[in-house]
Amino acid sequence: MSLIDSVSLPRNFRLPRVDGLVQWIVPLAIVAIWQIACVTGFVPVRVLPAPSDVALAGWKLLLSGELVRNIWVSFWRASIGFLIGGSIGFAFGLANGLSRLSAKLTDTTLQMVRNVPHLALIPLVILWFGIDESAKLFLVALGVFFPIYLNTLHGIRTVDPQLIEMGRIYGMTDSELFRRVIFPGALPSIFVGIRFALGIMWLTLIVAETIAASSGLGYMAMQAREFMLIDVVVLSILIYALLGKLADSASRVLERLTLSWHPAFQKR
Amino acid sequence: MQTALRTALPETELAGRANFAPHARVAREERPVQGSGLPLTIRGLRKSFGDNEVLRGIDLHIPAGQFVAIVGKSGCGKSTLLRLIAGLEKIDSGSISFGDAAVQPEDIRVMFQEPRLLPWARVLSNVEVGLGRDRASKDAHARAEQALTEVGLTDKRDQWPSVLSGGQKQRVALARALVSRPRVLAFDEPLGALDALTRISMQRLLERVWRDQGFTAILVTHDVAEAVALADRVLVIDEGRIAHDVVVNAGRPRERGSAELASLEASILSHLLSAEDRT
Repeated sequence: MSLIDSVSLPRNFRLPRVDGLVQWIVPLAIVAIWQIACVTGFVPVRVLPAPSDVALAGWKLLLSGELVRNIWVSFWRASIGFLIGGSIGFAFGLANGLSRLSAKLTDTTLQMVRNVPHLALIPLVILWFGIDESAKLFLVALGVFFPIYLNTLHGIRTVDPQLIEMGRIYGMTDSELFRRVIFPGALPSIFVGIRFALGIMWLTLIVAETIAASSGLGYMAMQAREFMLIDVVVLSILIYALLGKLADSASRVLERLTLSWHPAFQKR
Repeated sequence: MQTALRTALPETELAGRANFAPHARVAREERPVQGSGLPLTIRGLRKSFGDNEVLRGIDLHIPAGQFVAIVGKSGCGKSTLLRLIAGLEKIDSGSISFGDAAVQPEDIRVMFQEPRLLPWARVLSNVEVGLGRDRASKDAHARAEQALTEVGLTDKRDQWPSVLSGGQKQRVALARALVSRPRVLAFDEPLGALDALTRISMQRLLERVWRDQGFTAILVTHDVAEAVALADRVLVIDEGRIAHDVVVNAGRPRERGSAELASLEASILSHLLSAEDRT
């Protein structure tokens, strides 16, 4: 959660219509200052190319189809890895949150594995999978697994026991209790996990693609470095920023839709 | 003011309903459903948690439809007694029975100090939770709406619980407890967290629904004034036993602060204080 979410604005403070644009003022200003700094020669183009040069490089790559292809490959790897790691993490979170036995059996092991930085496994993963697709998917899935596992588990464990008792008194079956009390109660925490996981997803993917890949955004950036194409390197970095923002926005929309009951998401 | 209103009513309307609540008169065509309550008999009830014996032999008979208040200092076992009656804890020894009738889970309901509403369900569907196994039935909506009307919150049916005030949440919890037409309703300090004014209006509401529906009411409270204002009978529990069993004969509706209730309150308080002094 960003700071803006946690600070509640006074009731009458509203910026109608421009509200959606306000957040873009700072990024646009940075780009403008950057352009001016490059044009005036304050920053040498060999250190940092002007935004216009980066845009031009982007346009060329777009025309050649290379850009779209690489973004698509990276996007595909990110989503599939996220889905695999996320669903396994969610499943373990559910199992360990609902069953003491399951938690006793697996939680210690998972906590130990969690403390290994998953990027430290890259050499091993390359030995196992080569620079195949499965290597990237494995790393992304592993990175995404833990935040989703931990937050699902935490969400389920912290559901108000008084509500669970209430559900039992009113004769809810186990599946009803899960559907109506436990899962909705755990959902805010699960979303925190999803947003953490999205960050880790990009990080892992980019590192993996930089080290061991023959396609994708990370590979594009590495190749550009080989040929001293600094504008393409900067372009890749900007695309990471945009994709990260996009993933975060998507999860926020989902959050708003499913947590409309939550006081923090209610329209004033 | 209430007395003035009562004397102003025509004699015929009051006939047969000497304890008629004036505010219940408005727009209430249904005659009260009397006799829907269940009698309650407790014999030799004991309960311990670890080495701590909380209830040390409770024997009690509550006739159907009676309003009983249970008071006592904190830790005396009054909440435990209520939880045992509601089936929320296991009995160590002794028995609790509800007359000869076969008791359905929907017949016994509890209301807690916290409203315990599902924050992610709208008011109406929170009330529907109270229907128990009848949740899926066709008239679930209609019944939940009727229960909301009884507590005067029809206009809040589509709200989230988070926008309601404390008193309103507690009224939704009451509607949820009432929607299955329970025959025994147990209250565990239901008004403990409310401010003084809301509390008085909630007490009136509790009295009114009890008189309308005729369930057996068991109210655990730390507020002796509340106990004598609402109950037919006040039980004082001390060290896991019923120390005093006080009948409240005042007619209804009761005038808060009347001399009769005040002296009763004082005598119950002195029982409680003497119990306090012994420890």
